[in-house]
Amino acid sequence: MLELYHSEPNTFFLKPLIALHEKQARFESRWFDADNLEHFTARFSDAAEANLHLEREGPLLRHAGTLISNSFFMLEYIAEALPGESLLPDSAYDRYRMHASGQFLGAHLGSLVPILGCVKYLAPRLAAMDRARLDACLEQVAPQERRQNWLALLDGTYTPQILETARERLKFPVARVESQLTIGPWLAGPRYSIADIDAFAMLRVLPDLTPSLVNPQATPRICDFLARIEARAAVRAALATSRSGKPAQHFVPGVEPSRWG
Amino acid sequence: MSVHLYHWEPNANSGKPMLALAEKGVEFESHYIDLLKFDQHQPDYLKINPDGTIPALVHGDRVLTESTPMMEYTDDAFEGPPLRPTDPVERWRMRWWMRFFDSYFAPSASMIGWSIFVGPAVRQRPKEELEAAIARIPLESRRIAWRKAMFNEFSEAELAESRRRVLFCINILEEHLTRHEWIAGTTYSLGDMNGFNLGYAMPLSQPDYCNDTKTPRTMEWLRRIYERPAAKKIWALGRTAMAQRVKFLERPAHA
Repeated sequence: MLELYHSEPNTFFLKPLIALHEKQARFESRWFDADNLEHFTARFSDAAEANLHLEREGPLLRHAGTLISNSFFMLEYIAEALPGESLLPDSAYDRYRMHASGQFLGAHLGSLVPILGCVKYLAPRLAAMDRARLDACLEQVAPQERRQNWLALLDGTYTPQILETARERLKFPVARVESQLTIGPWLAGPRYSIADIDAFAMLRVLPDLTPSLVNPQATPRICDFLARIEARAAVRAALATSRSGKPAQHFVPGVEPSRWG
Repeated sequence: MSVHLYHWEPNANSGKPMLALAEKGVEFESHYIDLLKFDQHQPDYLKINPDGTIPALVHGDRVLTESTPMMEYTDDAFEGPPLRPTDPVERWRMRWWMRFFDSYFAPSASMIGWSIFVGPAVRQRPKEELEAAIARIPLESRRIAWRKAMFNEFSEAELAESRRRVLFCINILEEHLTRHEWIAGTTYSLGDMNGFNLGYAMPLSQPDYCNDTKTPRTMEWLRRIYERPAAKKIWALGRTAMAQRVKFLERPAHA
């Protein structure tokens, strides 16, 4: 049995939904309301790999009793373990590019995109909630880094200056993806792969969050890349799992920015 | 096709592909890049890796610059014993732990290491020389890291948090090794090589927390990796006292 625990189909949650639909895999959708911190009210497992989310928040895939976490490695797992359309590049070097892309974008987009998205959409929802109930819920969250990520949305951590720095730092990964797309239409070789799913899920919200950075004039290849992936049947099916009708307005805190500053 | 590896000491990121190549049985031409002399920011090296980070693997006309993906490539592209499990769950677990070592353990352990080793090793040079060295660094994130190390700008709060995280890692690694023989599960893999490179000195840097009494499974895991011929071969390439620390893992003569 295959079960996916996920919230609205955006960023980290969108990735496995696309891959499972690309594979035409039969799976049970276990939707939870991350805006209301529903995922903290039930413990899935005591396994470190399930509770210590390396992305801080994200989907969990349960397959034959094993819980798989981390959205990029989940993509690799789906690509390697499930039958169906191959989602892996064909050559060793292109598979290296896939791994390198996942690592690079995981660190950069995985930390910066959720900051901008959470501040714009999640923070106002949290602010409207009963603070005592919110604090009681967050108090239970472990490890503490995961709890801190949520508290940061309430305690004024994200000043206009911090947000400006986040936007400034996004220029580096965005420029690198735009440059990669001059080599070919996909990020890891001549064929669509999980590297593209991984990038798409984080990049597709940037025209909304930083319109001056990602737009058809500034980043024509990224915009074309997004449109090509958006048109895929599996992507439309993944986005159609949204309960709000506006999946791109739902974010969870992401990867911790570099501790070195 | 020729294989060239540009690396510093068999330690952390440089050591990861060194050990993977040795375990795979791949002969490579070693190019020692002295991190403490900032060789990695010199024009000759920037022609190979414009980001100015080490290691870099050049296989024929391919240039690879990310150390953990480089390890997967080593297993993928060359003949030799498999370095990754065939079972998809074990493969996922290997990758999860490599990311945990890389993104959670390493930044904290290296902050401590840079504050006590790398920083003092370069700090006595003239300030102008250090500023010029920083100005040559291509990546902003690396400029920030080097500035902190050179001018000892780590706050006590940052270092305390790094120590807390390192101890957390020591504990969950020990717990993991009570349930699994190796990082991935039943198979020695890239996950063990990654963890060994980042953590082989833990018994020396954290002797009160990582030792035969408190973390016996971690100690045994480190020793089993150290005793492999590939590890012996790679650590013999070390030129500094830092790499020599690995000898701490020799079993006592009476054992």
